[in-house]
Amino acid sequence: MPEAVARKAGTQNAEPAPWSGLFLNDLKAWSARRSRPLDEAQLAAIQAHFRTLKREPTLAELETLARTWRPRQTCTGPIRYSCGRKSRVIKNLLEETIAQATKRLNRPWCLSAGKDQAGIVAFGAKWALACQVKARNRPCAIEPRGGAGTLMGGVIREVMAAGLGAKPVLNMDVFCCAPPDYAGPLPEGALHPRRILNGAVSGVRDYGNRMGIPTAAGALWFDEAYRLNPLAFCGTVGLLPAWAAAKEVRPGDLIVAAGGRTGRDGEGATVPEGVQPCAVQTGHAINEKKLLDALLAARARKLYRAVTDCGAGGFACAVGELAAGCGARVRLEAAKLRDPDMAPWETWLSESQERMIFAVPPRNLKAFAEVFAAEDCETAVLGEFIAAGRIEVTFRGTPVIDLDTRFLRGGPPRTEKRAVWDPPKPHALKAAQGKKSLSQILSECLAHLNVCSREWIVRQYDHEVQGGTVIKPLHGIRHDGPGDACVIWPHAATGNPADFQGFAVGHGLNPSYGRLDPWRMALACADEALRNLLCVGADVSRASFLANFCWGSPDDPAQLGALVRAAEGCRDAALGFGVPFICAEESLCNQSPDVPAVPGTLLLSALAPVADVRKALTMDVKGPGNALYLVGWTAEELGGSLLHQICGRAGGTAPAADPRAALAWFKAAQSALAKGLVLSAHDLSEGGLGVCAAEMCFTGESGAALDLDEIPRRAPIYSDEILLFSESPSRILLEIAPDREAAFLKALRGAPAKRVGTTMANPVLKVTGLDGRIVLEASLCDLKSAWQNALPRRLG
Amino acid sequence: MSDKTGVLVKAAPGRAVRPALERQPFSAPARGGGQGAAVPAGQPFSTPARGGGTYLLEVTLKPEFTDSEGLSALGLLHRAGVTAARCVRVGRLYELRGPLNLGHVHVAVRDLLCDCVTQEFRICHAVKPSPNNGNLWRVEVWLKPAVPDPVAESVRYALLELGIPDPEVRCGLAYRITGKCGRNQLEKAAARSLANPVIHRCSVCEAH
Repeated sequence: MPEAVARKAGTQNAEPAPWSGLFLNDLKAWSARRSRPLDEAQLAAIQAHFRTLKREPTLAELETLARTWRPRQTCTGPIRYSCGRKSRVIKNLLEETIAQATKRLNRPWCLSAGKDQAGIVAFGAKWALACQVKARNRPCAIEPRGGAGTLMGGVIREVMAAGLGAKPVLNMDVFCCAPPDYAGPLPEGALHPRRILNGAVSGVRDYGNRMGIPTAAGALWFDEAYRLNPLAFCGTVGLLPAWAAAKEVRPGDLIVAAGGRTGRDGEGATVPEGVQPCAVQTGHAINEKKLLDALLAARARKLYRAVTDCGAGGFACAVGELAAGCGARVRLEAAKLRDPDMAPWETWLSESQERMIFAVPPRNLKAFAEVFAAEDCETAVLGEFIAAGRIEVTFRGTPVIDLDTRFLRGGPPRTEKRAVWDPPKPHALKAAQGKKSLSQILSECLAHLNVCSREWIVRQYDHEVQGGTVIKPLHGIRHDGPGDACVIWPHAATGNPADFQGFAVGHGLNPSYGRLDPWRMALACADEALRNLLCVGADVSRASFLANFCWGSPDDPAQLGALVRAAEGCRDAALGFGVPFICAEESLCNQSPDVPAVPGTLLLSALAPVADVRKALTMDVKGPGNALYLVGWTAEELGGSLLHQICGRAGGTAPAADPRAALAWFKAAQSALAKGLVLSAHDLSEGGLGVCAAEMCFTGESGAALDLDEIPRRAPIYSDEILLFSESPSRILLEIAPDREAAFLKALRGAPAKRVGTTMANPVLKVTGLDGRIVLEASLCDLKSAWQNALPRRLG
Repeated sequence: MSDKTGVLVKAAPGRAVRPALERQPFSAPARGGGQGAAVPAGQPFSTPARGGGTYLLEVTLKPEFTDSEGLSALGLLHRAGVTAARCVRVGRLYELRGPLNLGHVHVAVRDLLCDCVTQEFRICHAVKPSPNNGNLWRVEVWLKPAVPDPVAESVRYALLELGIPDPEVRCGLAYRITGKCGRNQLEKAAARSLANPVIHRCSVCEAH
């Protein structure tokens, strides 16, 4: 190690001066030099705690507290929320909105929501599904490939640690970044959006493909506001036996670390000079695959009682989590190290990847070690769980940490934050600059980055491995059309090819609506995610949601106000649609003095079972001569819509979903789908009916004739443009064979549905306007090439 | 590290590793360094060997195959302003270090690191800058020493299985650029498009 690095490591590893006598300012100055500074209230609480103990804290204790408390400080504290003239105090935001709604719904099949590493829902009688979606943004901006790869690896590990461990059967990825051909200025050192997108895709690809998990679901959103702060979300769904959904730790169980070795990785460790002190890590998918195989073998033999993954905070958080109800005694010298000269606190807090902690009864240790050795996976007994309610860590006999678990897990003292939401003022519509024809708008909509084909990304991922991807990401005659949601038949994991139960995963994401009203965005996202599931034939009454909030700094009242509003939207969506949230994560502080706040972004992922995967539907038109039915009301809702973006307009109001009414239509449509009355279904989202019909037609290579006058609407609309491109929520376009129309209308039980068109052999999309004239006639070939070529062209 | 080696020392005689030098002479054309002439590589970031030798292997696609990686690197360089670059060929670099001899290195490269149908290899000399009026450039991208390198770890493990004693491996990429470019411009472009300065070290020299 060069001298300068050794010196730096030396100062980083020095024990702090006696704390009890220091003033708060000195404490702050000391803390500011660490990689994870504590705030004033936290430092005062720590000082007071150690004064009552009549001893000085050790460096390892301070670092452990900094890391355990930091993730919890963001939005679990009290918030004074003002909306217009009303003001109230929210004690714990996600608890009072999402968790409370889930509790009120009280779905018996929801086995674990917000407690375990991942949400767990029942899947048939014998099985359960574990699902988790995580975001990590900063590393993806600095080193996209490593950042996205370790994010993928981390979320897979969380699912592996759900209950007694689940076998991952599906990966998903969502990126929000600036357009790849962004030509504006970027500060020195910032990576170009094209590189960020390329790197992030390669990171997910290299991790998921090597682990042998299909990556078949996802989304992509482009907006210049993400140029300095891209967002990356990765999710995994895993399958586990229903008996393995719960874990417990008993005093006397051994703490066993398994997987990769511990090195100086992550934000916490002292990294040599020249490497920025950030989470620059590289994932090692092969190590994680070994860990997974060994874990599944050990789970089958019930060799351990609990498991958790080492994520942020390393051993400290993992052992702390498992020992929350009892206590733990750890001997750090037993840990397997990559760098033998690591300080004990570095070992304790290192964020090295691919490690997990197990609680193993002593009688099973030999068999456990053998199972892991057979997979060439190292294990080390770090210590044992004790009943004393303390975490005691020693290194070669010297005490390093001795903390009360209640003090550690109780969290830091919380200061009240302020949140303000100004109700959206009715924006005046800015007039368009110049008129575009409908066919021009339609082809620009299809070529818009947020609509166009993602084939360039999808083809890099292995979405077929495990052989259960029934509805694939790309549809149609030539396997290159868009899809609503993927359907997975996990027969390889259940080992029962006679069981045709599967599941579907869909996403809802639209930061454009969030700019106008985060509450409406939340409802629209929930609505879109559910419609995606509905269109492939999943059971929406058994759906569950996962929410990820990415916002700017919680110290900015306006940002926090928007977040509160979005969380309330999620609550109302959950209660309205009757869908519980099994996970909710927030990633705040996507903002710094040099980096403007990201647009408030809510990713809603929805998971639902499909009773019989053989009846799952794709969205492509199946042939000529069939009727096209539009279900749901169309209104003049163009705020944040694609039409406005393309025509250079701003303002308006974001679409407002009515969950209760929508749920009734969804259930009716679902019963029609289940009876086999529907040939294909597609949801209307960005670009409205125009984009939806064009996608269905060019994917199925059959034309269609639409009549705008037939569109179901409650208030009169006098513009063809609005009817064709309005983004009113809760609408689906269905293709029905002529002989099934009567049965279909009966099954719909009065939902607002009308026959808006017919499919035809002629490969054109023809639209009749309100005045009876043809207002749009476009060849499917042109529409498809506009949709397909947009991303490759802009990637260059 | 030591326990794995222990197992392999026992296993190696059973595997009867064929002495590589007894094989057919390999037909890979020698470039620059000359094929088979193994010389401890005086690479910019190498550290002293632990006894034995340090060998630098470079594996590239044969010239008759289109190098799509090179094409994409060429596109990146053009976009970064190096419009004079005409051709880029990409090579994988493996630095092997430890108690090795030339036979071990030949086993490593033929049985593991090089696909002899489509690829050729060279066991390089120290890549010395050879001024050529700025027409031929070589950009090497290595991970910084503190950054974990899973590929090198896997290579090391595979070499142990081939019976090569305790090798230490580092992996990198070499871009051989043809075209009259300026050094400064190339250095900047390489740091912006071929390497990420957060995790990589990048060297530019006039050589191929």
